[in-house]
Amino acid sequence: MADRKDGESNLSLLQGTLDLLILQALAWGQMHGYGISRLIRERTNEVLLVEDAALYQALHRLERKGSIEAEWGVSDNNRRAKYYSLTTSGRRVLRREAENWRRYAGAISAVLDPA
Amino acid sequence: MSFGRRFRRLIGLPTRSGPAIDRDLEDEVAFHLEMRVRDLQRIGRSESEARQQAASEFGDASRLKQTLGRMDRAAQRDRRIARWFADFTHDVRFAFRQILRSPLFAAVSILTVAIGIGATTSIMSAVRGIILRPLPFEEPERLLRIYSRHERLGPTAVSVADFADLRAQVASFDGVAAWYESTTNLSGEGKPERLEAARVTDNWFNLLGVRPQSGRTFLDGEEQHGAPRRAILSDAFWRRRFGGDPNIVGRTLRLDGNPVEVVGIVDGERAFPANVELWMTTRFAPEEFTNAQRGARWLRVVGRLKPGVTVEQANDDVARVAKLLVEKDPRHNTGYTAFGRPLQESIIGNYRRPLYVLLGAVGLVMLVVCANVAGLMVARTAARDTEIAVRAAMGAGRGRIVRQLVTEALVLAIAGGALGFGLGVLGTSLLVRFAPPDIPRLADVGIDRMIFTFSFGLALMTGLVFGLAPALQASRHDVRSRLQAESRGAAGRFGGTRLRRVLVVSELAVAIVLLVCAGLLLRSFAKLQRVDPGFRPGGLTAFTVTLPESRYGRLVDQRQFLDRTLEGLRAIPGVENAAASFGLPLTDARFQLTFTIDGKDGDANNEPRGQIRVASPGYFESMGIPLVKGRTFTPQDRWDSPQVIVVSEELARRFFPKGDAIGHRLDTGWGREGRKLGGDIVGIVGDVKQFGLSIDAPPAYYAVADQWPIDEPTFVVRGTTNTVALAGGIHDLVQQLDTELPIFDLTTGETLVAASLAQPRFYLMVIAAFATAALLLSAIGVYGIIAYTVRQRTREIGVRMALGASAAQIVRMVVGEGLTLAAFGLALGVMAAMGLAGQLTELLFDVPERDWITFVSVTAVLVVSAVAACVLPARSAARLGPQEALRGE
Repeated sequence: MADRKDGESNLSLLQGTLDLLILQALAWGQMHGYGISRLIRERTNEVLLVEDAALYQALHRLERKGSIEAEWGVSDNNRRAKYYSLTTSGRRVLRREAENWRRYAGAISAVLDPA
Repeated sequence: MSFGRRFRRLIGLPTRSGPAIDRDLEDEVAFHLEMRVRDLQRIGRSESEARQQAASEFGDASRLKQTLGRMDRAAQRDRRIARWFADFTHDVRFAFRQILRSPLFAAVSILTVAIGIGATTSIMSAVRGIILRPLPFEEPERLLRIYSRHERLGPTAVSVADFADLRAQVASFDGVAAWYESTTNLSGEGKPERLEAARVTDNWFNLLGVRPQSGRTFLDGEEQHGAPRRAILSDAFWRRRFGGDPNIVGRTLRLDGNPVEVVGIVDGERAFPANVELWMTTRFAPEEFTNAQRGARWLRVVGRLKPGVTVEQANDDVARVAKLLVEKDPRHNTGYTAFGRPLQESIIGNYRRPLYVLLGAVGLVMLVVCANVAGLMVARTAARDTEIAVRAAMGAGRGRIVRQLVTEALVLAIAGGALGFGLGVLGTSLLVRFAPPDIPRLADVGIDRMIFTFSFGLALMTGLVFGLAPALQASRHDVRSRLQAESRGAAGRFGGTRLRRVLVVSELAVAIVLLVCAGLLLRSFAKLQRVDPGFRPGGLTAFTVTLPESRYGRLVDQRQFLDRTLEGLRAIPGVENAAASFGLPLTDARFQLTFTIDGKDGDANNEPRGQIRVASPGYFESMGIPLVKGRTFTPQDRWDSPQVIVVSEELARRFFPKGDAIGHRLDTGWGREGRKLGGDIVGIVGDVKQFGLSIDAPPAYYAVADQWPIDEPTFVVRGTTNTVALAGGIHDLVQQLDTELPIFDLTTGETLVAASLAQPRFYLMVIAAFATAALLLSAIGVYGIIAYTVRQRTREIGVRMALGASAAQIVRMVVGEGLTLAAFGLALGVMAAMGLAGQLTELLFDVPERDWITFVSVTAVLVVSAVAACVLPARSAARLGPQEALRGE
């Protein structure tokens, strides 16, 4: 894992995008909270800085909304861990939000980088 | 996400308790930190460095745990509610399937509940309309009815002069008003008609707070003698007689021959007194206010309390003024005081007890209904033993099973409640239609939201009651023994028979209580029917006319009219005898006058008094009132001959204890055209029930019609043909004599007697219907349990028969079981009835509340019903051959 590059600021997360990241992370399969945190860190090359507390808050909120569900299992190092997975409705939310995000990002970059 | 989908997802998850939620959060956070530390160590950080970094990356863990704890608890709540709903919809669906699977059971239960709810709803709506609902006036709780009260004779109406003084001197009232009911003849356009009217003081409608629908109410001063005559119509009368003519206000009607201007219309159902067609003002003549008239107490008085004044304070105030009135006129007012009580109380006072008795009775019916359906449910639950056992084996908890069974009961109860509410609406209208018309406020009886809520709540409660008992019973047994029983082919062996027996015994007990009530009322009614009214009702026809003052103001005109009418009546074919009178027996006519004997003033506190009646010669003969001593009136007792009086036996006994009434002289203070009513006693006649069959005949005395003419004569005709045949002739005759005179209250002797029996008959009918329902239901209960045990004991019966028991012995065994139930029910029921019968005393006439004849008859009825309920099961048991009985298992 690369060290944090000085001089480049970490982007704090835009409202709502954390949910999208979590849903996308879970789209690859059942995962515990730490796994999601690690995945986000690795995939974004630590550009996006997610405070873990915020992550867990989002997880529990999504669970209550019914986008994801949780069950307790045993981790590969034999510890009791809470595993989250996507529900059918969560999958639908992910599809919709991802599409929204792409259109949003496309629109912004079209303004910033006129062809 | 759709609602249902979310439900299904939510209920798939286990629910967790509060501490478990906290533990989970602890674990989840700890796991995260540990993993992070491990990963950081793996890339070369020291342990302490790693821990520090992990913690800083994580953020405020303890605050997070708090936030998440709240969030997860809320989620748990959502989940529990969702699960409850999901279970509920499942239970309801399942309940419907179960119910459809056994339609007979469902039909019987629903019908039983419907009968109970229907009956209860009807009675409750009567109680609500008559007793509970406030009067339809402004702040009705501030209205008091004010009475004079004699220390011995009790409450009476108020004299005009006393009323005027009360009104002027009381301090605790915003206003005091008075009314009396009278009749008036409407003539002019259309058929002449006699109207029910009320004469009121001019503040009447303002005091009650009744606003006119159109026009105005009375103005100050309109009650004065000589003020122009004004009338206010009830809207019902306005619609009936004038077709709702919008220009009625301002028109002049001819009432009793006088022109009267209509000034307003009010809603008769929201005004007072009820059933009145028009209101006019009192217009008392000045002489009515003199001391001489203070003994005549016939005016009814209502006051409106000042805000915040209690009834007790008002009573002190009224009593203070009454004391002043004694000083003012000791001759008439010695022994009198005054008091007030809430107007509503004064209207419904006598009807409270009977209505509560009916309500209690219907409550008992409801108990029987609950027990009956509970019995059915127990039996059915027992039959479903296996199903329930299987569900228990598959992990349904006891609570879950109970809930399922209660839901089934509730579905049945609500279906029964809906049907019952319909029956209740019907029952209420029947009740109103067939209730004796003298019951007050019948117009206020109806279905409203409160009654609807009541019925619905009752249905739910019933469902809970009869669902819970069998449900608990069914869920109690352990799974294994039941499944084993099933494999032996003895489904339902644990079938709750003990509980069912208890239920049936209580049903029988309640049925007995109701039967005793019905029995006592029946005995009382039979006694009432045998009461001698003092006259012969058969063959008697009576009718009344009112002679308007404008054309019959002089006594000589009234005498002439009587003579000519009697002459005409006697000429009608089929008429044996005819006479005129004032104050027919068994009506509510109360005209009491005090009198002196031989001109001597008696004790001021205990003046002789009696009901005064007027009769023409031939009256006693026409009515069939026996002459006891002396003579009755003859055609020679004319206007100009010496005045004579005939007295009743009771009067003679009370005031002439030596038996020497004849020859003494009676005098009253009541007079007209310079002559006082009184005369020499010439005869004694039999007592007549004046006010009702159950009320002792009061002392009465009679004056001669020609010497004491009457402006509202009632003619009595004894004929060989029936009333219908006579009616035509009577109408023709009166038309011929005076085209403007309406005939009213055309009735027969039998009708008079029947009207006097109407109330006891009504209570008897209702209670008897309830008792019959309870008896039938409990007989069905007995039948159910006996039939069930016969089926259950088939093998035993077979063995007995194989060992030589005769069919008769088997029958005896089965019937014996039914009788055992009956005996338990009887013992309980008789005890309860003994305790409760006292509540009926007010409704009973000449029957002790612990009347042994009633109790014995009720016992017989119950034993017969119990035996009847056993007949079918006993027959089927006796028909079993030993072989098939043994094979049957």
